[in-house]
Parts: sequence; C-alpha cells; structure tokens
Amino acid sequence: MPVSGVPTRLLNPEMEALQIYERLKQRFPQQIVESGGKLEEFAVIDAAGVVDVCRFLRDDPETAIDCLSNETGVDYKDRIEVVYHLFSYKHRHSCVLKVKLPRENPVIATVEGIWSAANWMEREIFDLLGVTFQGHSDMRRILMPEDWPGYPLRKDFVEPQEYHGISTVRESPIIRLDQKH
Amino acid sequence: MAEALSEGWEANPRGAQRERTSLSKAKYFSMYSNYGVPLALTVIGLLFMAAMVGLQKLLAPNNPFRRKLMPYECGEPPTGSAWINFNVRFYLIALVFVVFEVEVAFIYPVATVYLDWIRRGQRWFALSEILIFLLILFVGLVYVWVKRDLEWIKKVPDQDSVT
Amino acid sequence: MSLLNTLPDYVLTTKTDELINWMRKSSLWYMLFGLACCAIELMHTGGPRSDIERFGATPRASARQSDLMIIAGTLTLKMALRTRLLYDQMPDPKYIISMGSCSNCGGLFQLAYSVCDGVDKVLPVDVYVPGCPPRPEALTEGLLKLQDKIMSERWLARERRTDQAAQS
Repeated sequence: MPVSGVPTRLLNPEMEALQIYERLKQRFPQQIVESGGKLEEFAVIDAAGVVDVCRFLRDDPETAIDCLSNETGVDYKDRIEVVYHLFSYKHRHSCVLKVKLPRENPVIATVEGIWSAANWMEREIFDLLGVTFQGHSDMRRILMPEDWPGYPLRKDFVEPQEYHGISTVRESPIIRLDQKH
Repeated sequence: MAEALSEGWEANPRGAQRERTSLSKAKYFSMYSNYGVPLALTVIGLLFMAAMVGLQKLLAPNNPFRRKLMPYECGEPPTGSAWINFNVRFYLIALVFVVFEVEVAFIYPVATVYLDWIRRGQRWFALSEILIFLLILFVGLVYVWVKRDLEWIKKVPDQDSVT
Repeated sequence: MSLLNTLPDYVLTTKTDELINWMRKSSLWYMLFGLACCAIELMHTGGPRSDIERFGATPRASARQSDLMIIAGTLTLKMALRTRLLYDQMPDPKYIISMGSCSNCGGLFQLAYSVCDGVDKVLPVDVYVPGCPPRPEALTEGLLKLQDKIMSERWLARERRTDQAAQS
C-alpha cells in the first residue's frame, strides 16, 4: 500500500503511483530508467536528473508532491541506492523514487532546496553510508561522533577496536563449563 | 468605689510625662543597653558562619585539577566567552529603586518622632516638611515615568513614523 | 589545614567518622543522568509511590551541585566522553550508581558499533543495579547498599599499628 497505516479507502488518492511515473516519463523520457516493483511500484531515476525530476514533481499542479516523507539509503553488494518516499498532502498520493550510485564514490545532488526535510535525512545518509550530497548546506555527521572512522551501515564496515581509549569489546564473565579455560 | 479605684495608685505629680523604665534607671546600664539583642544575634551569626566554613576546611576533601575546574557546560568542552551583555534596563530599575529606598529610609525616623511633634503643636510644620521632601523626589519619578524608563518592554515606534 | 589523613596515631577518633558518614549518606543529591528507558524508572523512583527522597536523595540538574551520579540508560561512545567530563566536574566526595543492564555491561546493545559496553570503562562505579529496567525497589536497594558503603568509609580514623595494638 502506498502509505502504510492509512486505509486506502480513507486516503482516496488522486493519482496512482504508476500514473505519476507515466507523467514523469512523458516529461523526462531519458531520466526515468525503469518503473514497477513487486510490493510497491517505484521508479529508478538517473542520478544526474534527480533535482529536475523532484522539482517538477513539486511544482506540477497535477502531482503537487509537497512532502518528502523519507529519504534513506541502501547498501547492496554492488551499488548504493538512495530511496525517496514522496507524498502529496494536496492530492494524497505517494510515489517512490530510487537512484543507483556506484559504491566507490557515491555522489549525488541534494534535494534540500526542494524539500527542506532533506537536510537531516541527507546528513544521516552521509553519516552512515558515506554518500556525499553536493550543494548541501551542512554536510557533516549527525549521529556518530565527528571523528568516527568509517561508515557504519556499509556491509564492509569493520568496528574499530577502541575509540579514544575506550575499548569496544567486553569480555563476558560467564565461564562456560563446556570449554576448557 | 472611687477609693477602690484609686487604691494602690498614685497620680503622677509630673503630669503627662511618662516614667522612665526601671531598667534605664539602674546604675549599671547605659543608654546602649537596647543594642544587646542585635549584638547577641550578630555574634551567633558569626559563630555559625565560622563553624560552617571551619568544618569545611577541616573535613572536606579537596582535589582540584584542571578538568574539574573548567567552566561547566553540561559536559561539552566550553566554547566562547562566558561574559554576556545584559540589558541596561536592569541598571535603570536598580537606580530608581535605590533612590526611593533611601527616601523610605529617611521617612522612617520622621514617623518615629511624629507623635512628639504633634504634642508640641507643630503638626502642620512637620507634615509640610516631609511632604516637600516627598514632592521633590516625586518630580524625579514623574520625569523617569514620562521618559519611558520604567517600561520593562519598550514599544518600538512603527517603521513609517520617523522620530 | 585539613584534618583528613593527618591525625597522628595517638589521637582517638571514636564516632567522628560515623557522624560524618551518616551526614553524607543521609543527603545524597543525585544528578539527573537519565539517558534512555532507565530514566523513566529513575523518575518513578523519585516519585510519590517509591519515594527516594525519604532517604535524603533529591534530584539536581547540575553536576556541580550533586554528589551522586545515577547513570540510567545506554551509554554511547559519543556520550561516554562527556560523561567522563561531567564526573570530573562533580565535587568530592562523589559516588556512582550504574543502573540497568546497558550501563552495567552494554546490555541488549552490547554488540552495536556505537555503544560503550558498560559505564565502568570510563568511570569508577560503586554500585551496579541489574535490571532492564530495574524496578524502583531495586534502585532503592542499590541506594541503600551505597549508603552502607559510605558508612564504612574512613576519613579521620587511622589503622592502629600492630605493635601498638600488642602493647596496649
């Protein structure tokens, strides 16, 4: 379901997600790579055209998407994806956009100028996955300490042995009887 | 009945003047004897303070080191200066307060001896003196009032009207 | 000028240590250091039903005015540095109660990357109160155990040397 927790009969969306993607394809034929999905329909956007697509979605009176519900990142083995969950309070419809980025140097333009909710969300993605957002006003870590090495939510993250002299391993005092000690 | 009433009581030959109290008639006390009570209180207060500070010097552990003496900023390393500008209205209100507090301090002795002035028949003289004193200071109060220095939050005039 | 640890052997202090310790244990002002869910139980321990204030313990917001620090909740590595600074800024004599599993050993989140496994990696803890979260009665017992520990402290009394004990 498009927006979890709200029954569809109350939501009464103006446009289905697929219709929104059709409208996007008419306008940006080269940016939309594919659309469709098993659980929820999503559209994969080319990384270069993210800002134009999002600005069109916000300013177009038919889609009028004025709320960025969530922006998050996913680390697959071969790529990093940034996922945008969008919602329109005016028309009460929602859609999902995904952007695929390479793992070596994940860089993408920021949508903070379009929806200011993206400020902290992009800081979190930068903090935990290492995706740099160009044009962001305050690109720094938000959850981890400022001098933390590495990006914790990546699949190849190795926990440091100590942090400022505090060791991150705790020996268990329980003596197991089945092991020799 | 009149004899019963006047028994054990003699009319004072000196008229309306009150008798001095027996305490002040005794030979060993001077006119400063009424200050004994504040003296005792002061001494007790000083002993209390000495006990507090003395016990702290004797019994309290004292381990100062640099991190302990840093300015407290809820666990973060302190940034910026600890001195801030404060609003000048505190100074103005304090100034006005001091003036009128001193005025009240001057009125207290007048109130104490006012009954004697009435008995001497110079009631209107005393009253007019103290009223002139109050009037002079009242002029100052009116000045401060009109100049809007008593307003805690001054209303800023509109942008259009230029004063 | 301090009398601590300076009295010579021939000075007898009989109940002075008990008096000082009794005064200190009956007025343990704790710093509100509720970090996570244990903070709710800490608030309830100070509440009306299980009242910790009948033992003299009242909450203070500042480290400078408290002599007990009850660490209630998960301590992250980012917070551990600040906790150490706050502990350093408390005036002596100061005590620490570690409340709940997360501050005892990292608790449920011991394997997480951002969690400091136990507050005793940064601070010297006097009493550990286990639980997730510990009931107010458990925290009250922890406070009473800390009071017993305070009563056993020696400030003025010194150990009598064995040869003196043999002579007397």
